[in-house]
Amino acid sequence: MKTNCSHQSDCLKLIQRILDKEATAEEESTFLANKDQCLPCKEGHELELALRKALKSSCHSKCPSSLIDSLRLKISSILLLILLLIPLFCWFI
Amino acid sequence: MSTETSSAIALTESQSRSLFEKEFVPHLDAMYNFALRLTNDEDDAHDLVQDTCMRAFRFIGSFEPGTYAKAWLFRILKNNFINDYRKKSRGPSKVEFEWVEQSFAGDDDPEPAFQADLKAETVNEMLGDEITTAIQALPVDFRMIIILCDLEEFSYEEMAKILNIPIGTVRSRLHRARAFLKETLASYAEKKGYKTDMLSA
Repeated sequence: MKTNCSHQSDCLKLIQRILDKEATAEEESTFLANKDQCLPCKEGHELELALRKALKSSCHSKCPSSLIDSLRLKISSILLLILLLIPLFCWFI
Repeated sequence: MSTETSSAIALTESQSRSLFEKEFVPHLDAMYNFALRLTNDEDDAHDLVQDTCMRAFRFIGSFEPGTYAKAWLFRILKNNFINDYRKKSRGPSKVEFEWVEQSFAGDDDPEPAFQADLKAETVNEMLGDEITTAIQALPVDFRMIIILCDLEEFSYEEMAKILNIPIGTVRSRLHRARAFLKETLASYAEKKGYKTDMLSA
């Protein structure tokens, strides 16, 4: 296995595009077929995967139910206001 | 109130209500999470999501069902944050943001000179709080793009629309943001003594 990658910066960009689902199927299969022959690429791929996994498991919060309720209430009052305004408007003209 | 009235009038009450339940409610967790990461404050995140939903609701009559509501809502949220909340935000994050704009705004900037020496094993060993702290320590532009991409899995094209930047800038900003995050985590790991034997100089 190669311990030195001569195009590490380009490989890292490719790894990121593959994980972002922005690479072509051909680019992806070529990389996956060759990554085990290059240590920096193999480790780079593992690190990018680990980072995404860590982010997904640690950075999530649920919207408080009080906020959802307050949004429903606000929207209901706007709709109610519209329902009241239309007849009022018609009555005036 | 008149804007809300005039645009929501195009839809019946039940249509508006069902559009809200179908197109807004499923994305509220993601929107709140994004707002919380941007503002670092639960009350500000609450207000930001509320303002975003009310602003989006004003234009619900012009929303085409079947289009991707999540990207549309995130774009409104981000604009709302930039226009209203960033002004209110405390000193450090403002300085941080300006610094990012000056240092990383262009596509032609040189590549990050460093590649942090960080291993997957080190990241796997880190606690959730440590990862969250590292994310919060990122300049807001970097934080924003990493959340949109790695957490919400928007495509580069969708991120370009949400952030109103060219797709090339999306690519380069993401690359820099990740290099920055890795460097932050690497120096943190070194300080905390995580697998220090694996972190070669």
